[in-house]
Amino acid sequence: MSISIDEGKNRIVRHGSLELAEHWALALSGLALLLSGLFELPVAARYKIIAIPGLAWSGDFIASLTIHYAASVVFIVAAFFHLFYHGLLNDRGLIPQKGDLKASIAVIKTFFGRGEEPPFDKYLPEQRLAYFGMAAIFAIIIITGLIKTYKNVYAPDLSYTLVFWSTWLHNIFFVFFILAFVGHIGAIILKPNRPMVRGILTGAVRLDYARHRHPLWLSGADTGTSAPPASAADTAALVETDAVVVEVSLVGESGGSSVSPGGDATGTVETNKEKQR
Amino acid sequence: MKTVLNMNRRGFLKMAGAVAAIGTAGALSVPRTSEAGEGKIATLIDLTRCNGCTDRATPACVSACKKIKAGRLPEPVDPIPLPFPTRKIEDWSKKKDVSNRLTPYNLIYIQKADVDIGGDKKTVFIPRRCMHCDNPACATLCPFAANHKFENGAVVIDPDVCFGGAKCKTVCPWEIPQRQSGIGVYLKVLPTFMGNGVMVKCDLCSDLLKGGKPPACIEVCPQKAMTIGPRKEIYAKAEALAMKIGGYLYGKRENGGTSTLYVSPVPFDRLDAAIRKGPGEPALGAVKRQMAGTDTMGKAVLAAPAIGIAAGVAGAFALVSKRKDRIKKEG
Repeated sequence: MSISIDEGKNRIVRHGSLELAEHWALALSGLALLLSGLFELPVAARYKIIAIPGLAWSGDFIASLTIHYAASVVFIVAAFFHLFYHGLLNDRGLIPQKGDLKASIAVIKTFFGRGEEPPFDKYLPEQRLAYFGMAAIFAIIIITGLIKTYKNVYAPDLSYTLVFWSTWLHNIFFVFFILAFVGHIGAIILKPNRPMVRGILTGAVRLDYARHRHPLWLSGADTGTSAPPASAADTAALVETDAVVVEVSLVGESGGSSVSPGGDATGTVETNKEKQR
Repeated sequence: MKTVLNMNRRGFLKMAGAVAAIGTAGALSVPRTSEAGEGKIATLIDLTRCNGCTDRATPACVSACKKIKAGRLPEPVDPIPLPFPTRKIEDWSKKKDVSNRLTPYNLIYIQKADVDIGGDKKTVFIPRRCMHCDNPACATLCPFAANHKFENGAVVIDPDVCFGGAKCKTVCPWEIPQRQSGIGVYLKVLPTFMGNGVMVKCDLCSDLLKGGKPPACIEVCPQKAMTIGPRKEIYAKAEALAMKIGGYLYGKRENGGTSTLYVSPVPFDRLDAAIRKGPGEPALGAVKRQMAGTDTMGKAVLAAPAIGIAAGVAGAFALVSKRKDRIKKEG
């Protein structure tokens, strides 16, 4: 995927529409699964949740199972699509790299005023680790959920050992899912990460933020030593290096004097960052 | 990536289609032999034979059940923790002798129905206990896998795993499982906030069955009103008996089918109207399997991996194909 930059609007595209669709399909169906899964426990009537307007269904185990199934279809399709689509395209931007754990600890320390952040690639090292953790949680929950569903529909007398472990792993990883969700929300509340929120809502983040914090993403270098200039005055409309493909839109740019490849307002060049999501 | 690039469009779509077809077919087929009844047992309860043991203080089946299950449940803690926020407990430990309804200490009882069929007054006695359904929501929906249907057809609650949340009772059309508060694993977790005891019901004397013996209630019946055996044989026997007496069957279709077949000379809706119903006193009406409505969506869940894989493979192929076309155009 080429990198799309809009200098005039100080914007860089961080996620394509397909990636946004994948994220929100998983996120929204995941939330529906958390809620409907919680109501598969006999809690709604006991704790009077059924009295809350709009949650009367929470005490009906068949209704909550139907919602759980419907959300599962979206969640599982999105998860398998993600795995195969990006797996086949060899998208590796979110795959943990050697040294990510050590780097993550260093980054977390900076949140408490200790040390300075190193230059980042498109994703932070802890984002790559969190992605791996989430993927593991999703995998266990999906596999055990499929076994439980098969049991419900076709084989209520499935091996008790299989049913027992599937049920308990589903429950335990349900708790991990909640913790991961809380951690995910906690991470975006942290001030240094807040600019990324806009990225997952609109697809784009501030260009000056990206230049300041994610220079490796823009430079395409494997290891970065310094961030490119963060001030708008230091950057041309088109940022093109031998390592980066940038697609620049000049629409709305105030200066109007920038140059783009081929003399057009937009241009695309192949780069070694093409595979990065 | 190279594999993707080297594969032609038709081959790729074929592969995606095949993955989807295999997954969907796998999800929608019913390959299990146990569904056909092999290895399963069933019980026939012949209501033309049961006389309620009116000559005894307690019916033989009820006494035998109480005797064999005596001491199975531990004594509840004193005081029993009051659950938040309901503060309601169910303690039958001081009323173990109750035998005229289902309780955690009384897993079978006899219902009595006085009916008038065209001026002919009849009294029908009906032994009631868990029906051991073919696809029991009480077991499949148990959030802790404390309740399970085994291959032989018996639906059994493990008292060491059960938290006593009573979900099984809620989803059982006959509300068979009964709760004893103050016992069970919930006491070791969060007794005030989570769980409320252990759910108890007939387990078809699974321990005896493993040893090749019939359940206690069946063995002691002086009228031989209950018969247990291979499911196919019992079903055939029940149907033949119903045909012979011009009677009626209950349990064959109720809740999607069960391992317990009642044969009665009186229609079951008439019996249902005549029996006393309430907590621990189940009805005898027509019962549809509630979870049947979720089966279609469940099948969609099972097909979802194949759909996701097919979409992912097709999407990756489409993108690679687009890139190749662009490179071609650009020379």
